[in-house]
Amino acid sequence: MTAVLIFEFPRGWLLGIPLLAAFGFLLWREYRRGLSAQRLLALGLLRVLALLLLLGLAARPVWLTREPPASATRQVALLVDRSESMSLDEHDGTRYQQTLDFMRNRLLPAFKSAHLPVQAMLFDQGAEVADGAKLNATAPKGKRTNLAGAIAHALGGSALPPLAVVALTDGIANENADNTRALTALVDSKVPFIGVGFGNDQGVKTLSLREVEAPSSVSTKTSFSISAQLEMMNTEDMPPFDLLLFRDGQMTQKKSVSPGKGSRCWLENFSVNEDKQGVHNYMVQLMPPSVPSLKCISVLGNVSVRISDEKELRVLYIQGALTWDYKFINLALHNDPTIKLTGLTRTSKQSVFRQNVESAGELLNGFPTTVEELAPFRVVILSNLRPADLTTAQQDVLARFCGELGGGVLMIGGPATFDSSWQSSRLEQLLPVVFARNTGVSGLDRPFRVQLTEEAVQHPVFQIADNRAPREAWAQLPTFTQYGRVDAAKPGAQVWVQHQTDDGPNGRRILMASQRYGAGLSAVITIQNFWRWRLAKDTETSQFDRFWRQLFRFLSEVGRQDVSIHLADQELHPQMDVRVVLEKQPNPKNISDTNKKFFVRVEDGQRNLLQEEAIELEPLRAVDFKFHAEKPDVYNVTVSDALKVPLTSRPIEIRDVNVEFQNTARNMETLRQWASVSDGLAFKVEECPAASDLVAQIQAKIEQVRRGKETQHPFGVNGWVLALVVGCLGGEWLLRKKWDLV
Amino acid sequence: MKDSKFKPQTSTKPHALRCTLFALSVVCLLLGLTRASAQPAAEDKQATFFMGRVKYSSNDGNDCGGVGQDLMRLVSRASTLKIQEERKVKLTDPDLYDTPFLFMNGHNEFVFTEAEIANLKKYFTHGGFFFASGCCTNPKFPEAFRREFSKILPNEKVKPIPYDHLIYRSFYKIDRVRCLNEPRDIQLEGLFYQGNLVAVMCEDGLCCSFSANNTCNEGKGISPEDGQKLTLNIAVYALTH
Repeated sequence: MTAVLIFEFPRGWLLGIPLLAAFGFLLWREYRRGLSAQRLLALGLLRVLALLLLLGLAARPVWLTREPPASATRQVALLVDRSESMSLDEHDGTRYQQTLDFMRNRLLPAFKSAHLPVQAMLFDQGAEVADGAKLNATAPKGKRTNLAGAIAHALGGSALPPLAVVALTDGIANENADNTRALTALVDSKVPFIGVGFGNDQGVKTLSLREVEAPSSVSTKTSFSISAQLEMMNTEDMPPFDLLLFRDGQMTQKKSVSPGKGSRCWLENFSVNEDKQGVHNYMVQLMPPSVPSLKCISVLGNVSVRISDEKELRVLYIQGALTWDYKFINLALHNDPTIKLTGLTRTSKQSVFRQNVESAGELLNGFPTTVEELAPFRVVILSNLRPADLTTAQQDVLARFCGELGGGVLMIGGPATFDSSWQSSRLEQLLPVVFARNTGVSGLDRPFRVQLTEEAVQHPVFQIADNRAPREAWAQLPTFTQYGRVDAAKPGAQVWVQHQTDDGPNGRRILMASQRYGAGLSAVITIQNFWRWRLAKDTETSQFDRFWRQLFRFLSEVGRQDVSIHLADQELHPQMDVRVVLEKQPNPKNISDTNKKFFVRVEDGQRNLLQEEAIELEPLRAVDFKFHAEKPDVYNVTVSDALKVPLTSRPIEIRDVNVEFQNTARNMETLRQWASVSDGLAFKVEECPAASDLVAQIQAKIEQVRRGKETQHPFGVNGWVLALVVGCLGGEWLLRKKWDLV
Repeated sequence: MKDSKFKPQTSTKPHALRCTLFALSVVCLLLGLTRASAQPAAEDKQATFFMGRVKYSSNDGNDCGGVGQDLMRLVSRASTLKIQEERKVKLTDPDLYDTPFLFMNGHNEFVFTEAEIANLKKYFTHGGFFFASGCCTNPKFPEAFRREFSKILPNEKVKPIPYDHLIYRSFYKIDRVRCLNEPRDIQLEGLFYQGNLVAVMCEDGLCCSFSANNTCNEGKGISPEDGQKLTLNIAVYALTH
């Protein structure tokens, strides 16, 4: 750093000439009066010193400091926009691809030849440092653009501010919370902002098929809706276009859509009715209208629906080895013709043992590898399995069976089943519990009793005796000796049964729990040899049998959707009344079902109750229901029966239109404003000079800003100088008084 | 030559060193044995196949001493079933209700007490399974079985199990088993509860087919090969029905 003292009013020194002359005259007169030379010298020095200080102040002295020459340790911060608007395809590629090409082919070589080190950063709503590999691997998907935040991050990221901030962006900044912070940082640090704008000045019109939804399971000859969510952005007037519905690859319906104009998000429904059972894949395809420069981000979406009449509920019991649980569950279902248990047991690495299969070919190759093979079953039980018994693909099939087809998945076993080897597996994601890291523990053989939670006491699955309260009936169960340890229930899971005495890291050890997973439900029973309940001497076997039947029905019915919830054709946006259509589905297993009373409950994303009301539903008679969506959120609509046992629920996401596509025209004005406040530059990419010239201009700006970056502080206007002046004049007066000159 | 070359070297080893090596070998051997025997015991805690050897009447459950272990070995060899060592149980023990599979064999006549019959009734209605075998084709034991087991469940008598029953197909597909010394088929007999087979008995020395090298039953009754298949089918049936 260099520093120099300058005077803002140097002419002030000229006042010294007459004043010095006056002082000289005074001294001459006192000499004539006979004052000694020594006294004259003392008085003269004091007077001249005071005069010089006053003259100096009159000339307005300023202490000026300047930045040193550019330091090799400082870098140029290169901000690369990765927000979703940069994914728009224009000319020969997306805006992001054009940005990378410009950076790689022009900018970086020029910076290198100018010996300017560069630090690249990616930004959208946040900002992070990125190397070449990361820049290449990044897909522009950021939901917002916070250019100000990225500038502030670049300026505050290290002890030394960068030499310059260069932003490669389309300039569509839609997040301005950090504007003041970035502006202050830019002005204070005197770093020039150089903006290079990418994209088209006219903006891009977009039309997208965002999502396709349908119920996971439907009875035959029952109407249901395939719902397509569409989004249109930045269009003045869009002509009608077609939506096509394909069923298992064959086109079945065509719908003409008149979208209107403006930016909006809305639903279009296809009504479907199937005669035959099976799993069908429904694909919706958007046929874009011929509009110049219209971009379609996504035109395809698909969903699987299981069509089934299910006169019997099929349960698939998969075992790593034969267990007594299978036998006793089979006994529990012995007198219930509506539930059929099928066994699949691994007997060696290469062979499986099948029981109660429907056809010679069913499950012939062991555990299903496609979701279609699992579709005939409503519940899958996993017993005594190790991670090596199921491939990741098979675990994915299970997750799809539960999440998409609404099936139930139950894992049952003891310490050998619930151990850390399942941690981070696909199966663990599906289940309602977090597996324990350590399995070894002493005292597992201590007999224990099970204890129902309050949720279980209220739950229909646990009502096993007509004449006794659930807690009392469950207290009669025999003691068990071993259980599989899990660490905790997952958020949203419901714990049903706990250990009576043992505590884990998060309270009482969990012995039974369940959670919703997509359209289905998963559950665990971690009690080893749970079958002992039925064989025990004092057991009422009917209670064991009832529990298992009720559990299977519950696990299977969740995905069945006794009441369908679908969204009517409408525009979706915050601050609207969302119209939902509720329809009770006919139940082939219970034709005499006359229950009409239901409850509808709406919760927001934080599970706050927004609305709850009683409604009457009859089979195949649609009823409209409305709730108010104030803000963007995921609202959950749940229909419960008369006892408030949940039957069906559906999340409904209400969001703002995609701000990244709301206005897609390149915004050079933003870049110019940032450049003007920092004495920088702003170019459209196509108007950029040659790379070397551009870097030369950037260098010049850096130098200019650096040179211009002087700091001035007034000098001498302080108490010390004032005291010195007063001291000199006061001393002179005292001397004169002492020598009787006053 | 080799021996003469090595002899001086081995004979020159100090005595203390040899003792030490010997002691170390013994320790290693013991450790190895301990581990070998401890490992199955630890695994047994997770075992899924429990078998109770029944002590009944004057029989202390030691008829043909190793037959219980041989049955467990057969089951473990022929399938992936995890097994646990046999337990000796009386029909009046509370442990009976922790043992879903009971095995009983013998040569002689027997009579159940009222308490044993009452316990067996509860055991069967709760899902327990009983496998009985007369040893060495001795007719006294099957006669007693038919009589005593027919007392347990009201209106249910021990009766032959036809060849179309699932027990002949539960693991191996068995169409027919011929008797070695008589021109007839081997026939399992059983007791049913609500249509479920809960107790099964073979009078033709089935237990001899998998134990004691079939010495007492050689050339008689069921062949070892057929007997072992049939026994495994009974075990798998018990685990699945």
